[in-house]
Amino acid sequence: MKIYQIAYKNLFGKKVRSTLTIIGIALSAWVLASLIGFNRGYESSLSRDIDNMGFQIILTAKGCPYEAATLMLKGGTGLKYLPEKVASDIASDKEVKRLSTMLMQAVFDPNKGESGGIMAYQGVDPANYPQMKTYLKFKQGKWFKNQTAYEAVLGYEAAELEQREVGDKILIPGKNIELTVVGILQRSGTQDDGTIFIPVKTVQKIFGMEGKITGVGIQVNQGVDMAKFEEKLYKLPDVQVVSMAQVKQTILNLVSTARVMVLSIAVIAIIISMVGVINTILMSVYERFREIGILKSMGAMPRDIFFMIWIETVILCSIGGLIGNTIAYVLSKITGIIVRSILPYAPTGDLVSIDPGLIITTSLTIIVIGFLSGIYPAFKAARIRPIESIRKED
Amino acid sequence: MKQIFLSLIIILAYNGTTFAATGCDLNDPDRDVRRLFPGSTGYKTDYVSIDKKGGEKLLSVVEQKLGDRFSGLYETIDVPYTIYTIFRGKQKVGYIHGVNQKGKYGGIQVFLVLNMKGTIMNFYYQKLTGRSASRLRTAAFGKQFVGLSLADFMQYDPVSGKAKGRVAVIRNHAPDAENDFKATLRGVKKNLILMNVFVYGNN
Repeated sequence: MKIYQIAYKNLFGKKVRSTLTIIGIALSAWVLASLIGFNRGYESSLSRDIDNMGFQIILTAKGCPYEAATLMLKGGTGLKYLPEKVASDIASDKEVKRLSTMLMQAVFDPNKGESGGIMAYQGVDPANYPQMKTYLKFKQGKWFKNQTAYEAVLGYEAAELEQREVGDKILIPGKNIELTVVGILQRSGTQDDGTIFIPVKTVQKIFGMEGKITGVGIQVNQGVDMAKFEEKLYKLPDVQVVSMAQVKQTILNLVSTARVMVLSIAVIAIIISMVGVINTILMSVYERFREIGILKSMGAMPRDIFFMIWIETVILCSIGGLIGNTIAYVLSKITGIIVRSILPYAPTGDLVSIDPGLIITTSLTIIVIGFLSGIYPAFKAARIRPIESIRKED
Repeated sequence: MKQIFLSLIIILAYNGTTFAATGCDLNDPDRDVRRLFPGSTGYKTDYVSIDKKGGEKLLSVVEQKLGDRFSGLYETIDVPYTIYTIFRGKQKVGYIHGVNQKGKYGGIQVFLVLNMKGTIMNFYYQKLTGRSASRLRTAAFGKQFVGLSLADFMQYDPVSGKAKGRVAVIRNHAPDAENDFKATLRGVKKNLILMNVFVYGNN
C-alpha cells in the first residue's frame, strides 16, 4: 500500500473531523478569494467608469470636486451652474481636443411610484459628445439631428424602463413638452445605460436655463502637460477643475487603504484555519501513536511517516481550497450584489471579479498553507519511536 | 469523480456575464406589499420567465390567449416576471404581480393584487407617464378592476380594443389618453394570462 493511499484511508476513517476541517478551510478560501476578487473588481470597475466618461477633465461651478465628480458618476445633478461662456472661452485653447457642455436637470414626476419620483435629463453637445463617447453604440437610430432638436437618445436601461423605441415620444413631466426618441443605445455597462440624453440647447430652453450649464467635459490633445493645463484652468474664476486622473487616483488610494484592512481580515481567516488544520492533524497523530509505531517497526522510515502526515494535510487543504474557491466563483455575482447594496457608492460593472487566474492563485496559496501547517504534525509523527508507542498504549 | 467535474463545468459556464431583459419589480416591496395587501404578514419573491417555464411553445400559448403578438424591443420571451406570493402567518393568501406595457409617453407598470383564485383584489399603476396620468391613477379608476378575473378579460381584444361583458363597462377616466387606457387593459390581460400559466395553471 502506498503512502498516499494510507493517508487517504486515514482521512476517510475520520469523516466528521475531516469534513469539519475541510469546511473551515473552504470558508477561509471563500473569504480570501472573495476579498481579493472584490478588491480587483472594484478597482477595475472604477477605472472603467472614469475612463468611459470620455473626457479627462470636468469643469463645474466652485464646490467640492469629489462631491461633484461623484454626482456626475452617479448621474445626479450638478451643485451650481456655470456660465456657458466658460466653455466658449477655452474651446480654442491648443490643449483642448474637443469639449462638451453639459446641463443636467431633474424634474419631479408625480406619477412614478406611490408618491412620485425624479426624472433626470442630461443635456449634451450634439457636435462633440458623440465623438468623445465613441464606445457608445446604437441598438436603434442615431444621435440628434441638430443643436436645438426636440429629440432624445436613451441609454438601454432607460429605454427599457420607458419601453421606448425610435420614433416614440417622451413627455417631460410638469413641462408638457414632447420629445421624439431618435436613438436607443446598446448596453455599455456604464452610468450611460440609465441616462436620457437631450441636446444641451434644448434642455436650456425647456428648463429656462439659457446660457447656463452644470459642467464642461474636456478631452485634451495627446502629449498635453496635464498639470500645466490644469493650472491654467484653475485661474478661471468660480470654476472648479476636476481632473479625472486625480479623482481616480484619490479613490484608488482610498481603496488601497481599505485593501490593507481587507487583506488583514483574510490573513486572520487563514491563520484561524491553519491552526484548525494543525490541531486536527496533531490530534490524528496522537490518536494513531501506536499505529505509527507499528508502521515504523515494520520498516517504515521517519521520512515515510513524515510524508504520510504531510500528504493528509495537503489533501485536506486542497479539497477545502477547491470547494471554497468554487463557492467564491459561483457566488461572486450574489456577493457583488450584496456588497453593492451596502456601499454608499459603487461603480458600475462586476464588483467582485474572480477569474481562473485568481482561483489558481488562491488555491495554490491554500495548498502552500497546507504544506506549512503539516510540517509540525508530520515532524512529530516522524519522531515517534516504535518501542515508546507500543509501551505507551500498554 | 466524472460527475463532480461535469457539475463544476456546468456551474462555471452558467456564471458567465449575460444581459437579460429587465422585469417589473415593486419599488419598495416591504412597504408596497403591506399597502397593497392589507393584513398580509409576509411575502416570498419568485422570478419566472416564459423562456424558462416553457419556451416558444408557452409563448405561443400566451399570445393566443392574449389575442396579440408580443412585440417590440422589450416584450420578449426572456423577460423575468417577479411574482410576490403573499402570506398571512403561514397561510398563502394571494399574489402580487406586475407587467411592463408600452404607453404613449413611456412604460406603464401595471400591478395586480390577486387572491388564490385569480380574482383581482387591487389594482396599482406603479408608473404611468402622460398628461392625464393622474386621472387614471385615481382609486376610483382602479376599483373598476376589483372582482374581475381572466375569464372576464378573455372577452377583451387588445388589437381592436373591443370588449364584452364586465370589461366593457370599465370607464376610461381620461378620454384624451385612450392609448394609455387601451394599453392598460392589454397590460391587465397579459398580467392575468401570465399568472394563469405561471401559477394558477399549475395548481
